[in-house]
Amino acid sequence: MNNGENNSSGGRESATAAKRARPSHQRSFFILHFPLFISIVLLAGLCVVSLCVGDMNLSPARTLDGLLRRDELATFVIWNMRLPRLLVAMLIGGALASSGLVMQAYFRNSLASPGLLGVSAGGTAGAVVAIGAGFAAGTFFLLPFASIAGAFIATACVIALARRGAGTERLLLAGIALNAMLGAVSSYVLSNATLTYERNAQILFWLLGGLEDRTWEHVMMASPILLAALLLWPLGRQMDLLSLGADEAQSLGVDVRRLRGWLLVLSTVLTALATAVTGTVGFVGLVVPHIFRLLVGPEHRRLVPLSLVGGAAFVVACDLIGREAGGLRIGIVTSLIGGPFFLWLLRRQA
Amino acid sequence: MSDALTISNATVPGRITSVSLALAPGVMAGLVGPNGSGKSTLLQVASGLLSPGPGDVRWSGVPLARIPILERGRRASWVPQEAHFEFGFTVRSVVAQGRYAHDDDGKHVDETLARFDLTALAHRPVTRLSGGERQRVLLARAHATAAPLQLWDEPLAALDPRHALKILLLGNKHTRAGGTLLFSLHDLRMAYILDMVVVMHEGRLRAAGKPADVLTPELLLEVFGVRAEITSSLSFALP
Repeated sequence: MNNGENNSSGGRESATAAKRARPSHQRSFFILHFPLFISIVLLAGLCVVSLCVGDMNLSPARTLDGLLRRDELATFVIWNMRLPRLLVAMLIGGALASSGLVMQAYFRNSLASPGLLGVSAGGTAGAVVAIGAGFAAGTFFLLPFASIAGAFIATACVIALARRGAGTERLLLAGIALNAMLGAVSSYVLSNATLTYERNAQILFWLLGGLEDRTWEHVMMASPILLAALLLWPLGRQMDLLSLGADEAQSLGVDVRRLRGWLLVLSTVLTALATAVTGTVGFVGLVVPHIFRLLVGPEHRRLVPLSLVGGAAFVVACDLIGREAGGLRIGIVTSLIGGPFFLWLLRRQA
Repeated sequence: MSDALTISNATVPGRITSVSLALAPGVMAGLVGPNGSGKSTLLQVASGLLSPGPGDVRWSGVPLARIPILERGRRASWVPQEAHFEFGFTVRSVVAQGRYAHDDDGKHVDETLARFDLTALAHRPVTRLSGGERQRVLLARAHATAAPLQLWDEPLAALDPRHALKILLLGNKHTRAGGTLLFSLHDLRMAYILDMVVVMHEGRLRAAGKPADVLTPELLLEVFGVRAEITSSLSFALP
């Protein structure tokens, strides 16, 4: 389809060639999204394994029986334990990875991540404050809301700075400062001696990030991630232009201010919801978009869906590894895998 | 027929003060002035990227505020002084971005690549280009938009003599076809051969008009601090 190479000379020749050669983003849907189909197959495979494997290994047939509620024990294991855990893992994986992708396009920096703006730290601080104040002990739903509130406060601070005409460097520095301040809030609450042992344990859960004991309520709480992902999907083309320069994109016809507003809100909501449901899970937003950029190039129309699916697959895989390794929390696994991998990428780039 | 570009009383605090300028369709105008005289700012105001403050910018007589941003992408194209590419898009896909406001129809892309000597580089990531090549990619993207008003910030700064000449000839072709081009440059000898020259000095418009009328020895001494005389010199043409 793409015959851009052999029409270098002559007006008439290139005019007909231009008719035939369509730009890369108008390739057929299948060719454009071929890596996506592979990722979906990979994710589906991981899902099957994730449902079968655990403290009690189930055969695929018995897993199916459990899904269809034909086997009492399997039904209990699948519907009460593994399925909600799997769905939460997929949702937060997609959310964190796509949120990272958005940040990278927004800041024109492939090393940016949701944590960069202090959004993750804001979410964690919100949750930690709620636990420390003793609210979370009584009301289950308050914890995620506190986390979301914290994340939005962090984003509001950054937006306020951006309104004063801050450049990217200033935003990045603001994010670093916010991260440090919000981290200090969490540390203060954690080190406060009046806390009970139980509250400290709860706070540690947030700081480490976990998929243990996820219920259908958690799935419900994370489900708006799907809506945010759908809203993000059509912005890929504009993200392409933005990622090569805001003024240039504006000059080419992109409403940059509106686009940036949407991207900031969507990435905040995605990160906040993920943090609200599982606590801090690092490196997903940094590593997943990076891998796919290396594999399929920088086009966001491909990277947005790939990050959603690939992020889900990455977190499900990390969860599997953590479970098989004797119950390592997801936040530890993503950091143990993501950290070295990212360092390797850095070395490769240099 | 209204002017292609009309700027009246544009002020950007600390950068330009009360600049008014009108460019007729079909004019190829050079924007000259010492470093920091406000050339880049004026181009950004002209392209709608910076607010003209109390002033007003019109394209073909229509106030910029009344032109939707997508439509602006079809009417004018601005090229920055320096390109910074973080992501490895191919040369071809960057040039194809020029068609964003045209529903990404892919028109003119291959033809533009050929005109800017970029066909051989079409599939190379823009992160692996030299400064001059990056400059040509940005100019090619602006060309692909087919926008009648072209605003280029020092398009020739990074280019070798052959490509600089090619870009000038493309600009000439664009204006002969009724388009308008305003570009900043430092080469006053080059400015001397253009239709029109606009001189910025300390954030104000010092003079605008035909080069021979504007670029007088007195003005050159006052604005640029150089003594000028007309002599015969080395000149280029494409073989």
